[in-house]
Amino acid sequence: MAKSSATKDAQALFHSLRSAYAATPTNLKIIDLYVVFAISTALIQVVYMALVGSFPFNSFLSGVLSCIGTAVLAVCLRIQVNKENKEFKDLPPERAFADFVLCNLVLHLVIMNFLG
Amino acid sequence: MEKATDLFSLKSLKLKTKQQELLLRISILGLVYILAFITRLFSVLRYESMIHEFDPYFNYRTTLYLTQKGFYDFWNWFDSESWYPLGRIIGGTLYPGLMVTAAFIYWTLRFLRFAVHIREVCVLTAPFFASNTTLVAYFFGKELWDSGAGLVAAALIAICPGYISRSVAGSYDNEGVAIFALLLTFYLFVKAVKTGSLAWSLASAFGYFYMVSAWGGYVFIINLIPLYVLVLLVVGRYSMRLYVAYNCMYILGMLLAMQIRFVGFQHVQSGEHMAAMGVFFLMQVFYFLDWLKHLLNDQKLFQAFLRITLTCAISVGAIALGVGTASGYISPWTGRFYSLLDPTYAKDHIPIIASVSEHQPTAWSSFMFDFHILLILFPAGLYFCFKRLSDATIFIVMYGLTSMYFAGVMVRLILVATPAVCLISAIAVSATIKNLSQLVRTKAKPTQGGSGKGTTSTKASSKGALDRSLPYQRNGAIALLVGAFYLLTRYAIHCTWVTSEAYSSPSIVLAARGAHGNRVIFDDYREAYYWLRQNTPQDAKVMSWWDYGYQITAMGNRTVIVDNNTWNNTHIATVGRAMSSYEDEAYEIMRSLDVDYVLVVFGGVTGYSSDDINKFLWMVRIGGGVFPVIKEPDYLVNGEYRVDKGAAPKMLNCLMYKLSYYRFGELTTEYGQPPGYDRARGVEIGNKDIKLEYLEEAFTTSNWIVRIYKVKPPKNRW
Amino acid sequence: MSRPLLSLLTFLFLSIICNAFSPENPTDRKVLVLLDDLSVKSSHSLYFQSLQSRGYDLDFKLADDPRVALQRYGQYLYDALILFSPTIESLGGSLNAAAILDFVDSGHDLILAADASASDLIREIATECGVDFDEDQAAMVIDHTSFAVSDTEGDHTLIAGDNFIQSDVILGKEKIKAPVLFKGIGHSVNPANSLVLKVLSASPAAYSANPKSKLSTPPTLTGSAIGLVSVVQARNNARILISGSLSMFSNRFFRSGVQKAGSTINHGRSGNEQFVTEISKWVFHERGHLKAVNVRHHKVGEADEPSIYRINDELEYSLEIYEWSGTSWEPYVADDVQVQFYMMSPYVLKTMSTDQKGIYYTSFKVPDVYGVFQFKVEYKKLGVTSLSLAKQIPVRPFRHNEYERFITAAFPYYGASFSMMGGFFIFSLVYLYHK
Repeated sequence: MAKSSATKDAQALFHSLRSAYAATPTNLKIIDLYVVFAISTALIQVVYMALVGSFPFNSFLSGVLSCIGTAVLAVCLRIQVNKENKEFKDLPPERAFADFVLCNLVLHLVIMNFLG
Repeated sequence: MEKATDLFSLKSLKLKTKQQELLLRISILGLVYILAFITRLFSVLRYESMIHEFDPYFNYRTTLYLTQKGFYDFWNWFDSESWYPLGRIIGGTLYPGLMVTAAFIYWTLRFLRFAVHIREVCVLTAPFFASNTTLVAYFFGKELWDSGAGLVAAALIAICPGYISRSVAGSYDNEGVAIFALLLTFYLFVKAVKTGSLAWSLASAFGYFYMVSAWGGYVFIINLIPLYVLVLLVVGRYSMRLYVAYNCMYILGMLLAMQIRFVGFQHVQSGEHMAAMGVFFLMQVFYFLDWLKHLLNDQKLFQAFLRITLTCAISVGAIALGVGTASGYISPWTGRFYSLLDPTYAKDHIPIIASVSEHQPTAWSSFMFDFHILLILFPAGLYFCFKRLSDATIFIVMYGLTSMYFAGVMVRLILVATPAVCLISAIAVSATIKNLSQLVRTKAKPTQGGSGKGTTSTKASSKGALDRSLPYQRNGAIALLVGAFYLLTRYAIHCTWVTSEAYSSPSIVLAARGAHGNRVIFDDYREAYYWLRQNTPQDAKVMSWWDYGYQITAMGNRTVIVDNNTWNNTHIATVGRAMSSYEDEAYEIMRSLDVDYVLVVFGGVTGYSSDDINKFLWMVRIGGGVFPVIKEPDYLVNGEYRVDKGAAPKMLNCLMYKLSYYRFGELTTEYGQPPGYDRARGVEIGNKDIKLEYLEEAFTTSNWIVRIYKVKPPKNRW
Repeated sequence: MSRPLLSLLTFLFLSIICNAFSPENPTDRKVLVLLDDLSVKSSHSLYFQSLQSRGYDLDFKLADDPRVALQRYGQYLYDALILFSPTIESLGGSLNAAAILDFVDSGHDLILAADASASDLIREIATECGVDFDEDQAAMVIDHTSFAVSDTEGDHTLIAGDNFIQSDVILGKEKIKAPVLFKGIGHSVNPANSLVLKVLSASPAAYSANPKSKLSTPPTLTGSAIGLVSVVQARNNARILISGSLSMFSNRFFRSGVQKAGSTINHGRSGNEQFVTEISKWVFHERGHLKAVNVRHHKVGEADEPSIYRINDELEYSLEIYEWSGTSWEPYVADDVQVQFYMMSPYVLKTMSTDQKGIYYTSFKVPDVYGVFQFKVEYKKLGVTSLSLAKQIPVRPFRHNEYERFITAAFPYYGASFSMMGGFFIFSLVYLYHK
């Protein structure tokens, strides 16, 4: 009984999530896709590291952190650009994107140095 | 005369109030900037422009190397002149921020054709950065409260003795730059949380990078900021801005920090950094759930989902942490930082950490000495912060409380607490004086303005209601203002006196008052190091206690066995064992280390109390910690440490005793005392007839403070 | 008139100095012989003549002659000293035990002969050199099984010794067939002292006691622990010969025949002359003297000597060892010269190969440890001068750009990072130009 209620809950949850998500604007969906891409790359690398071992550790860290950093920065961009967030209504989206580009530049430069 | 004053009054009238205020602020800041710089120059004026203490000599030597050989050679520097014969990879075991900063200033000045010597740049780096810290304190105070508080904070931190102690001219040490970086990072982070902008977070990540490159105390930042985020999450003040600020700063800051070789992978492997990572993951989970809740708009489903995910996340996190710590992959807290949480740990387990005088717990007198009235204003400031809670004030309250706890555990960490104490006290001072002066000023308005504009009348009526009940309020306010002014003046006097008397001694040059009140300078240390430099072969190896290692390599330019870096306890214990053994056993140890000269510091003639005989028990403890043949009770008599006739026989015949007191038995040091009277211990020494078999005296400085002995080669016919 | 004379004298003086003992010519030249009785000069004339025929310049003086001096104005006048004055109580001139020991410590050789009535001075010098004579003043070495059969002396103090040390370097290639006649006092050496060697030790049945009185207590010095003739090679390669018998060097013992008790062979001539001559050759550096020159090390493939090595470097080390043949330097050939790469303990220990012409070379890889190492050659062979060379060289770890450039195991990480960069670029294009 509990199991069926749990599955019913899960199905209802899933359904309502799907419908709510379909309502988000396209540019946010693009960002979400980008985030998913980054996270999946990170997961692939972690699996690879679990198989092969962590040598060289600095390359592993730089690879994983570049993915996570990209994901995090994209999420920050999403937060800043999302019109539903009242806190950021004064922030022009161009400024948000410019900050995003700057942070990514720094991220990739440091990754290049750290990659070894 | 009148025309000049007319001009003045005209000029001042032409400026609008806003511009007047700006002029006032800039001039105050400028004066505070100059004040912070010049109050740290006492020792340069009294002695000369030289580097103080021990650690700064190492920093100076590395900066010299950097300017001479360039950055890549500095980054890869392997030094074969210290820790003989193990050598030291200096490039990978130091915090390069300070050296790079000083070298950068040096190259800039050189580019502008100022022909300065790198030593002058090194000596004046700390005061320069202290001045910059006052600027950052102003901006930080402005964020926290208002520009008035910022100005007061700048003024307080410019002369606060807690900060001056480690940033006088000549104290070329990491803390001089690190406190600037610390305050800068905190200011930028608070600004980032306030604005939610990625650019400010990036700036705070760079500030963190500068801090990591400058000082090992960056661990404080990487633990305080996650703690702050956690507190905000718990209190319910979380917002999207917090997410943006913390995540960007953490990821970019961590990446940048790992570029420093000395820090390496500690951000993902060391227990001290795990709090930040934990909070990072917690934030992801927290905000993801928050977003889902916002998407779903349905409480019931969300609750079910919440339960499942929370239990999963927390269990996964706990298992990961447990496995990591148990398997040893996540290293536990290192001794240095663990002794902050458990102050008794170092005394029992790590004598090297316990032996440093700066690592002792703080006495109330030290607090009073270093903070003066700020100690009283600190709780007042906390009260004001709690009255007007915002993200920024919560931060400063947390910073203040945690840093005061750590300042209570270790004397050295008063330095870290100083900016927080100054800022919070500045809030108290500024708020109080503002309120008081408002009371003084608004009293005058109802009598003058009358029923002018609506706003003033409402103000006047509200204030008027008050003043009708307390007729002496204005006088009280004036009295309190005078009292506040008096307190602040006393603070300034105290700080200047402390700086002049306590914190401006170079400790490599000693001064004393002679019999006629004239100043006597003891320059024995440099005399000995220059003797070494000029009279020993280039590849001579010098054995001394680790305190003097940096100075010997920097000024004497000779290879040393151990130095202040204290990274290899066994090597130091070997030296400690050699100093505590009889001469023949010590000779074996010295031959195995290829020692050519032995240097000891002796204060018996001058009464200098930081000499090797007073440090000797630490040598015994550290040596005994690794080599059980050295037992501390052998050197004590009834638990008492003595050097006179009643001393333990092992004490009277150990190498350190012999080297310190060789030929001392014939010397009369004080009128009315027998020859061989040790002025530092206040007793007549026990063993006056000392014969050295394997060493011979090479040099003793003019006041017998530093004594150098040569190790004789093995006997020819045996 | 005086100026050319002065320059001629200076020239002669300089040439004399040039011919003196020097590192280029290690055999001694001028030898001071101190006797307590000039009759020794004639009673030991065979020995002295053998020395003089080999080119030594002997200067005979009485030991208590006040004009005796080893050095003048800080320069030593002689290269070696022969002390054939066992009974002298105090030496003449400015000489005393300390002066003689300083003479040895500055690299000069010494032959010391004690006898049955050795004075305290001689005993003190011997003790300082590591040889302890029997404290009993009247004791002599007595051996009831290895004595020399003779018609006159019956108290068995005349010993036919043949317990020689096994060393071609010290005693020469030719085996000494006849026993050596010895009559004098015995000594012991401290077994912890590695510099002293017993060249001729007593037989296991020997003991040191007063031959004229009855033994009241068991003798302290017995058996093979008794040394009859010992040599000391000091750390600065000065050589000292200490003999308990002066008469071992005498003409009488040289010429006399010897028959060891219990043996039927009657040797016509004792082995004393051969023994003493050979050992004198050794003491005066005619044999067994090595020099090591031209120590070089460099990385494989390079010719210059670097000031610092890197871990895992391949390097080559070579040096040249020559042996003095008495007249010239000959290449020294041996197969046991080893070099250590040492930092508190040897990380690499290799036996060096030789090209038979005196050059020893080897090559090895620097260990994976950084620090300050030393190339140590500690060659201590019996009887041969000890070679103790140490050359300090630091070894550094890899620089940041000396690691492998691309590690194959890390290609996925490289790929991921570059894909992130590419993804960022594409994303920003898509995001910006999306309507």
